[in-house]
Amino acid sequence: MAGIGIFVCDCDGELSERIDLEVLGSRLQEHPDVVDVIPHPHLCSEAGLALIEESLAGKGLGAVLVAACAYDLYDVAFRPIMEKAELGPGQTVNLDLRVSSSRDENVKARTKHSVDRALALLDRLELPSDKLELVPEEADHGVVRRALVIGGGIGGIQAALDIANSGHEVVLVERQPSIGGHMIQLSETFPSLDCSQCILTPKMAEVGRHPKVRLLTTSEVTGLEGRLGRFTAKIERKPRYVLDSCTACGDCVDACPVLVCDQFNTGLRWRKAIFQPFPQAVPSIFALDDEHCLGLFPLACGKCEQVCEPGSIDYDMQPVTEEIEVGAVVVATGYEMYSYGDVSEYGYGKYDDVINGLQFERLLSASGPTMGKVMRPSDGREPKEVVFIQCVRSRNPERGKPYCSGICCMYTAKHAMLYKHRVPDGQAFVFYMDIRAGGKGYEEFVQRAMENDGVMYLRGRVSKVFEENGRIVVWGADTLVGKRIEIAADLVVLATAIVPNDGYESVAQVTDLAADEHGFFTATHGKADPVGGSVPGIYLVGCCQGPTDIPETVAQASGAAAKVCALFAAEPKRAVPEPMLAEA
Amino acid sequence: MARIGLFVCRCGRNIAGTVDVAEVAGILAEHPGVVHAEEYTYMCSDPGQLKVAQTIADQHLTGVVVAACSPQLHERTFRIACEKGGLNPYMCEMANIREHCSWVHPEEPATTEKAIELTRVAVEKVKHSRPLTPIRIPVNRRVLVIGAGIAGIQVALDAARGGYDVVLVEREAYVGGHMAQLSATFPEMERSRFLLRPKLAQLLSHDNVWLLTNSEVVELTGFVGNFKATIKTRPSTDAEAGLDLADEVFPRGVERQRQESTVEVEVGAVVPAIGYDVYPLESIPEYGSGSIPNVLTSLQFEQLLRTSEGGELRRPSDGAVPREVVFIQCVRSRDREHGMPYCSRICCMYTAKQAMLYKQRVPDGQAYVFYIDIRAQGKDDEEFIRRAAEQYGVLYLRGRVSRIFPQDGKVVVWGADTLSGMNVEIPADAVVLALAMTPAHGALDVARLLGVGADDHGFLTEAHPKLRPVETSTAGIFLAGACQAPRDIGSCVAHASGAASKVLELFSARHLEREPEIAHIDEGICAGCFDCREVCPSRAIEVKEIRDRRGELLDTVATVNDGLCQGCGLCVATCRSGAADLEGYTDSQLFSQIEALSSRWTSTTSAEKPGGGHGG
Repeated sequence: MAGIGIFVCDCDGELSERIDLEVLGSRLQEHPDVVDVIPHPHLCSEAGLALIEESLAGKGLGAVLVAACAYDLYDVAFRPIMEKAELGPGQTVNLDLRVSSSRDENVKARTKHSVDRALALLDRLELPSDKLELVPEEADHGVVRRALVIGGGIGGIQAALDIANSGHEVVLVERQPSIGGHMIQLSETFPSLDCSQCILTPKMAEVGRHPKVRLLTTSEVTGLEGRLGRFTAKIERKPRYVLDSCTACGDCVDACPVLVCDQFNTGLRWRKAIFQPFPQAVPSIFALDDEHCLGLFPLACGKCEQVCEPGSIDYDMQPVTEEIEVGAVVVATGYEMYSYGDVSEYGYGKYDDVINGLQFERLLSASGPTMGKVMRPSDGREPKEVVFIQCVRSRNPERGKPYCSGICCMYTAKHAMLYKHRVPDGQAFVFYMDIRAGGKGYEEFVQRAMENDGVMYLRGRVSKVFEENGRIVVWGADTLVGKRIEIAADLVVLATAIVPNDGYESVAQVTDLAADEHGFFTATHGKADPVGGSVPGIYLVGCCQGPTDIPETVAQASGAAAKVCALFAAEPKRAVPEPMLAEA
Repeated sequence: MARIGLFVCRCGRNIAGTVDVAEVAGILAEHPGVVHAEEYTYMCSDPGQLKVAQTIADQHLTGVVVAACSPQLHERTFRIACEKGGLNPYMCEMANIREHCSWVHPEEPATTEKAIELTRVAVEKVKHSRPLTPIRIPVNRRVLVIGAGIAGIQVALDAARGGYDVVLVEREAYVGGHMAQLSATFPEMERSRFLLRPKLAQLLSHDNVWLLTNSEVVELTGFVGNFKATIKTRPSTDAEAGLDLADEVFPRGVERQRQESTVEVEVGAVVPAIGYDVYPLESIPEYGSGSIPNVLTSLQFEQLLRTSEGGELRRPSDGAVPREVVFIQCVRSRDREHGMPYCSRICCMYTAKQAMLYKQRVPDGQAYVFYIDIRAQGKDDEEFIRRAAEQYGVLYLRGRVSRIFPQDGKVVVWGADTLSGMNVEIPADAVVLALAMTPAHGALDVARLLGVGADDHGFLTEAHPKLRPVETSTAGIFLAGACQAPRDIGSCVAHASGAASKVLELFSARHLEREPEIAHIDEGICAGCFDCREVCPSRAIEVKEIRDRRGELLDTVATVNDGLCQGCGLCVATCRSGAADLEGYTDSQLFSQIEALSSRWTSTTSAEKPGGGHGG
């Protein structure tokens, strides 16, 4: 039986500086299917290429792993040789040793990381039982021209639109009953103060009615097999209990007797067990929350079914799993806020008037629980002194996350500014460590918050937050004047760390994508290939690979779409561009 | 004679909850020209759409009005339904009685009255509608990329992979831009040129990529899908050959022009990726205007780091190993008074990287960094800074530097540490300035040439800061990389691929279909004053000469370029002779709507029942 051959490149000493290539080789040699590990100082040189060619012919290898540098180079240098030896995409795989060596500090950790990645890749290879059975690749390399996009936030929506507008089919999978993600929860966006819903809903409507986009909400990807160009995705469509004939009239909501904490409004409001998360939801179909509905099990209620004029309620709906073939996958699973229960020193979860940034967005939003009027959750009073605390559990390796959450400086400046617009006689304080305003118009925006809106910036951490006489007392330090500060506030807003959406684990498991210790997916290369996932054919967009603001997410989404469209490109043209008219 | 069919949607209770839908249909049924009026629960449902198509055929309708929700949602739906019924889709109008009426008013007679009015106005408009056909514009599927730095290379690579022809124009003799000049990248600490090489190798292996170095775009005419660019190439000198990164990766070397030449290329899309420059050191008097030895720009220091790899780092003035190096951040960035108000975004990270690389070369040396805020918001950036401070012992001082001056072979740095509130004086062996990132020189000329916007500083302006970061206000022109705003390499690459995606999208069809709602000039009426040309923001008005059979000039009139016109209507408002009109919003359509509205007011004041206005 033909086995797997592994070629390991040293890139002229560049790689052995970072990784113990001998350990790598001997570990991989232990794999049962591996017949040979062949090191070479410079695989992409003439000599290296000749060595590969000889080995392929001489040893009758059934599959090959090339451990070298970037995927880009693999395409140019190695793929032609593999194709010549009749090894298709399923029989060859490239491990980018630079990537697996770029994150960790020491040689041992880098080597282990590389071994792990290599072993995972070896499992993806399709080893033919007999080389003669190898089916020659189809002329178009068997690429399925349909993309799977996981996650219906702004990243997923943009990627889906770009791919679909290029004429390819897209399956967009979203766990929630509506697409829109976190962006639809936001009030206004920095630095232009555009209403978030107003700029997002046209895109949502466009993707919802796009003839090339198949939108699957309340659905999850539960399996992914295959390789670049030909994956088979298993998608579980959870029951919504409401049929597509729903007209979103809302009669069922009036009838439903069950009150549930409204997650879309970050717990600041109630909703019914049958609901539409927000009025502009796409698709515009209600959903039944089976955790709380009384009618499902046992049949005790059934009120919504009685009032539903089009007869759209179906309590017997069952989960359905579909298999869909796709050529590429875009992962845009987004983020969520650090789980708050344990931010005890700031009183989150203990005091009603200590809320997080996302909750404050809902308080500011014109469609939010207070219709955009700033009120404190405890008694509905207008807060006159508001303290914003940045870097809550971010940049905090001891008690939280070591990384910077990227967007909090800007949204806090926006929060303070919008608060001042709503409550001109109020005072906003911001505790910060460094103000990170590194984007177009961002620095100017923060300046505006300070100078035009009189937001008071204090450089320092907050040590304690406690309640006294109905107010929230904040103890902090101003490190610039070296003094302790005490503020009796009406409302405290925490800019808590951004963490990967809790769905990342199942996505990581299903896709085999590499993730860092925090759960953010690792790009092939942060600089050279920022949207490429560690599995060829899977691309990363937005906060699933690290905290990212909206414009950067949109650019990445379009970037991922470009990779997908290039992969799907039919009949690449070979003509050399000719100038229309040339003169000496 | 108009035969108009009216379909009023109940939208479940969305409209019927506050509007008496039956009354709307009933009153409008009596309106002149309306031959069919009905209400239905969901017009957008399949049976609803079928009703529209069927009635057109049965009643020989000449126009359709659907009173329902916003045209944003369903105009397309009903236009398609009309087409199925054999009616020109542009003979269909929507009256928005949901978002503009039922949703925003309480249940009372006035709400129904408003719905009737909105519907009647739409009926009057459709009476004056004309059949239109979408405009088809051919798309030349070749892209022009300006600038062969990392962003330009990435755009070219993605477009070439998509199977399209690419013309990549670089002003300098070398490709790779600033990235080719850097030592290593943060936070990976990889040699910058090693990252560029595979990309370049792949780019040059595509035979549908045409690379022109020493070249500039000097003229661009045309419009989306149909641009014509004039590219001027300077002769290259022998000294330039063989030095380029492209020669390193491309064994045959890159072909270079020996004589000056000008070519014209037709392209369908243009992507400026013209990168950045740094603020001139010569214009910073408090830091010596470039006259103090061993005061280096960060790019000069990159060069030192790159050439000292594996050896010792020596300062340029006397070859001594610098034992104390001071890095100053935010030089002319975040400085409204003397420099640029914005943050240059990459300096915090590259300064930390430079300090670390310096410490690797000179382990017993000391690195100081003066900063205002440490901005490490990218992936792994925060951890990287922590490593610089904790493992490499780089000393971070929060404060600005007021003055630097030479003294006894040293560069003395006067600054403040705002955290301890003390003044600091450091006699350093070298000072490295993180100068503000500015738009590339000539950026404004490129903006003017391409007809795209630029901000006060010269960074090119995107179509929308949040949701359209790679598009411009000019169709067919997309932005890539640091020419739009300061950004690091990873962000440039993602941004560039984003721009490429827009190119691939545009090129995915051989023709571009546009809505026909654009301006039209009646040549018979046009007096040739060309006032319209003055006001047109899209440069869509062209000069047309009308000649007789013998070729004699009869008249010179204005004409509209279908590809450029955005349908804003400024020319219509400007035209004194009434020759210009906007399809879909013609004067006769608008005036009939206004008349319908005003007649209603007259009739209400004279206590007549609403809807009794005269027909157009």
